[in-house]
Amino acid sequence: MTEWTRPERSGSALNQWFRVTHMLFCCGRDNGAHAVQKGVEIMDLIYGLITGILFGFLMQKAHVIRYDKQVGAMRLTDFTIFKFMLSAIIVGMVGIYFLKDFGIISLSVKSTSLGANIIGGLIFGIGWAIAGYCPGTAAGALGEGRWDALIVIFGMLAGAALYAEAYPAMKASILTWGNYGKITFPGILGWNHWIVIIILSVIYVGLFFLFEKKNV
Amino acid sequence: MVKDMNMLIRKTWSPYLAGAVAGLVLCLSVLIGGKYFGASTTYVRSAGFLEKSVASEHVAKSSYFVRTKVKVDWQMLFVIGVILGAFISAQMSRDFTAVAIPPMWKRRFGTNKATRFLVAFLGGVIALFGARLAGG
Repeated sequence: MTEWTRPERSGSALNQWFRVTHMLFCCGRDNGAHAVQKGVEIMDLIYGLITGILFGFLMQKAHVIRYDKQVGAMRLTDFTIFKFMLSAIIVGMVGIYFLKDFGIISLSVKSTSLGANIIGGLIFGIGWAIAGYCPGTAAGALGEGRWDALIVIFGMLAGAALYAEAYPAMKASILTWGNYGKITFPGILGWNHWIVIIILSVIYVGLFFLFEKKNV
Repeated sequence: MVKDMNMLIRKTWSPYLAGAVAGLVLCLSVLIGGKYFGASTTYVRSAGFLEKSVASEHVAKSSYFVRTKVKVDWQMLFVIGVILGAFISAQMSRDFTAVAIPPMWKRRFGTNKATRFLVAFLGGVIALFGARLAGG
């Protein structure tokens, strides 16, 4: 029981993979809460894989995982990524708030810390422009054969390890600057969320017409 | 016309269509599994696995790896899925090409692989550091 509910305490990556495989093939032999817990974990992983495949498929079809498209977006010469992202945001915000209003799902709001968001965002932007791929698109680019994306992935692993070392210092400084907790635009404005959704959708669709008119 | 009917083997989809379907996939993911999309945490967990294999005590003591547990989770499989999904899509449309240096880079900085790889690595380090700081 303890072994399955706390997989994070296991040893090596390989060991962890053995456990996952074991979970996948041996779940039928147990019963009760133990099996339910294991079943939930396995379904999570399977949903993750399927969702990732769908998302990777769509990004490849729209060509948004390519270096030229990402750097092109930052140079404001190619708006393919804006078109993809803003379309996803319109459908996503309408769908998510619709489901939330019916009480079916809950929002996952991240904390706003102005210091961390602004400084981190600037650093991320510099790195993204230099690398030409972001954490998600680097994975997709590797899938369609872009080998430099694999080097970016190695760099990102090193960057993650570096941040883990820097975390105590960040926690004592930048992360505390301008910390507002879990806030949303409709929350700060005091408006109904549908007003914000409609305004944003109108702006985004307006941009779409502009992109098509300028043929970018 | 016949070519257009099989969307799955087409090389290019309208970014509006692909983006809208991606938004729909997000809604279904939240509805079915309660999961929103992300990728950068997977790099933290994976780095944790790699560090653990050489310095497990250091990882156990790290306040960041206590907060972001080193484990295989939904998002890690999501990121693996993105690699697979892009591979499947590229294979189906015969769009898979092994390219080491992006065309735009080649035009501006030339064909030296070592330069591109060094910059790619550094860019990756900076991008992920910033992403984690920003909370992404």
